[in-house]
Amino acid sequence: MSKSRTIRVLIAKPGLDGHDRGAKVLTLGLRDEGMEVIYTGLRQTPEKIVQAAVQEDVDVVGLSCLSGAHNELFPRVVELLREFGKEDSLVMGGGLVPEEDVPGLREKGISAVFTSGTPIHTIAEYIRQNVRA
Amino acid sequence: MLFDREELEKIAGAKQEWEEGLLKQQMERFGMKEPPGRTYTPADLGDWGFLEKVGLPGQYPFTSMEYATHLPERGTAVSAIRFVAGAYAGYGTVEDTRDLWREQGRRGANVAFDLPTQCGYDSDDPISRGEVGKVGIAVDSLRDFEVLYEFLDGVASLDQTASNFTINAPCNIILAMYIAVAEKKGVDPAKLRGTPQNDILKEFVARGTYIFPPDASMRMVRDTITYSHKHLPLLNPISICGYHIREAGATAAQTMAFTFSNAIAYVQLGIDAGLDIDDFVRRFTFLNFSGSMDFFLEIARARAARRIWARIMKERFKARNPRSWTTSGLGNAVEGRYCYTTQRPLNNLARGVIMGVAAALSGGRPSGGVAWDEPLGLGHSYEASQLSLDAARIMQHEARLGTVIDPLAGSYYVESLTDQVEQETLEIMDRIEKMGGSVEAIKSGWMQREVARSAYQFHREVESGERVIVGVNRFTGENELNVTTSRLAPHPYDPRKRADAEERQLANLATVKKDRDNSRVQATLKDLHTAARDENENLMPYFLDCVKAYATIGEMCNVLRDVFGEWEPVGAL
Repeated sequence: MSKSRTIRVLIAKPGLDGHDRGAKVLTLGLRDEGMEVIYTGLRQTPEKIVQAAVQEDVDVVGLSCLSGAHNELFPRVVELLREFGKEDSLVMGGGLVPEEDVPGLREKGISAVFTSGTPIHTIAEYIRQNVRA
Repeated sequence: MLFDREELEKIAGAKQEWEEGLLKQQMERFGMKEPPGRTYTPADLGDWGFLEKVGLPGQYPFTSMEYATHLPERGTAVSAIRFVAGAYAGYGTVEDTRDLWREQGRRGANVAFDLPTQCGYDSDDPISRGEVGKVGIAVDSLRDFEVLYEFLDGVASLDQTASNFTINAPCNIILAMYIAVAEKKGVDPAKLRGTPQNDILKEFVARGTYIFPPDASMRMVRDTITYSHKHLPLLNPISICGYHIREAGATAAQTMAFTFSNAIAYVQLGIDAGLDIDDFVRRFTFLNFSGSMDFFLEIARARAARRIWARIMKERFKARNPRSWTTSGLGNAVEGRYCYTTQRPLNNLARGVIMGVAAALSGGRPSGGVAWDEPLGLGHSYEASQLSLDAARIMQHEARLGTVIDPLAGSYYVESLTDQVEQETLEIMDRIEKMGGSVEAIKSGWMQREVARSAYQFHREVESGERVIVGVNRFTGENELNVTTSRLAPHPYDPRKRADAEERQLANLATVKKDRDNSRVQATLKDLHTAARDENENLMPYFLDCVKAYATIGEMCNVLRDVFGEWEPVGAL
């Protein structure tokens, strides 16, 4: 992608899970990495997340869930992004996601899953190399 | 005063000489610019007095312990694993949990609710999709509570047991269900024992299962305090939590300051409702404050917590009864679960043991910490629980920890650190007071931002390597072994039941809605709506009517959403 445009990221909390330490830390961290980052706040439906992604014209959607509803909620966001013509967005997941769920999520369009302990720089690098814009 | 002034001056002089002489020489020899730690002497304590700062166990200001002694032969903090009565649990539908608890022979309920229940949505609400029965049981109506409590049939009567409910925003509704179940079973509600969490303020700060705006939420808490004072005298209406605030990233001092400021707001609710402090505050409890791996800081923090609260109760609220000066659950140092790592997870055993020792040195029982496999997200294995339990037993019986209460009292270092963390806490509390108290500090988003900032600060220290986490940001080279183990005993939660819980609960809910008297439901909901508009009304009797008519949590919360509105978090990061 051209270097002139700043990468725009939406960090979102789908579902009812209230644990957003990771989401907030990542929001602040990616900002320090030079990206424009919007954090949705808690309790977002996939519909609301996709609406925000379209309105804010983001390149990346980062989804965080620690309640175990990730298998239901993450793929739904990907589906809706396709419906709204945002299939070029890079979708990443994080939170409490057991390793055995990762292949299934990748198959459904979540390109990477970063769980706790991942350095922010690693995530930022991943975004820079994989963002499709 | 431990030493007279002349002696203190001598000590201070000797220390200065030592710093400029021997210490400096050694540091130069090893090429050190800063000493790795500092040395404490009686000079750090100055005119420190034992009775003012520490006191005997069970006596003001409770620095050493809330009680004069530990209970005899209660063993370690954990009892048998498979049949533990009190462990926080629950999954799937109420049928699944009822059956499991029967099988385990439980005599008490410590209920985890799923997120739709905690956020006031029915299982058939579109926003509940994927969450039903996930982090706890799904409860929609009284029917679910009736089925859940069948686990006690033939085991114990409701007044012979106690129930803990981790529920906050819809706490009053859950409490109404508990009362309704008791009445149906012919048990006098006045004999009900239990503790609903009911700490809504920390939900805004850290845990996130709020529904209504802070003022309306506090009115709901007031209703539980005054209602239980009158009708449920054995119930603890609130369990005030530092745990979630710390786990969300707050420092030790922030956690205590936010938690005690929240506690002050709750105490004030009772006073403003005309209750006498000594009449109601003894039924308040604290959960715990979580912790860090900073061993001495956590011991000091636990000691400071008891002293700060005792002074608030005695000096600020003028409580007269010594029993009101301390509140159960202020507790000892505990492990921080956020300190457990998914990388090289067996290292969590060592982390649990270290904080278990801190527990025993700060007025608690030795504990083995939470199961090492907690961060793996698969539920605690029996094996991991066995190891925690054995660790606590080794601490108690082999290392003989916990026999002497507050063994670090008088340590120049620990007493200095206790004073320091107390001071930091009081300064933050003072800032909150100037903002108008906890509720205002939450409405403006200040507390929430402070927690996020501290969490980010922590993370940056980890990334820069300034803060070392073994196996995560250091000692991760190729020659390190990733030690793993496999589970032998299957987890008690049946994965098939977890998978289809949502479907089964939707069927349960549909049956309730079909079988109930819907005109009665509408009438009770209408009464609730009218009562909710009058700030002075206590809503508990109205919830009880709704619950008995099998109105659902979602229906009741929707009535309140209509009157109170919903909380929209403020303050961008």
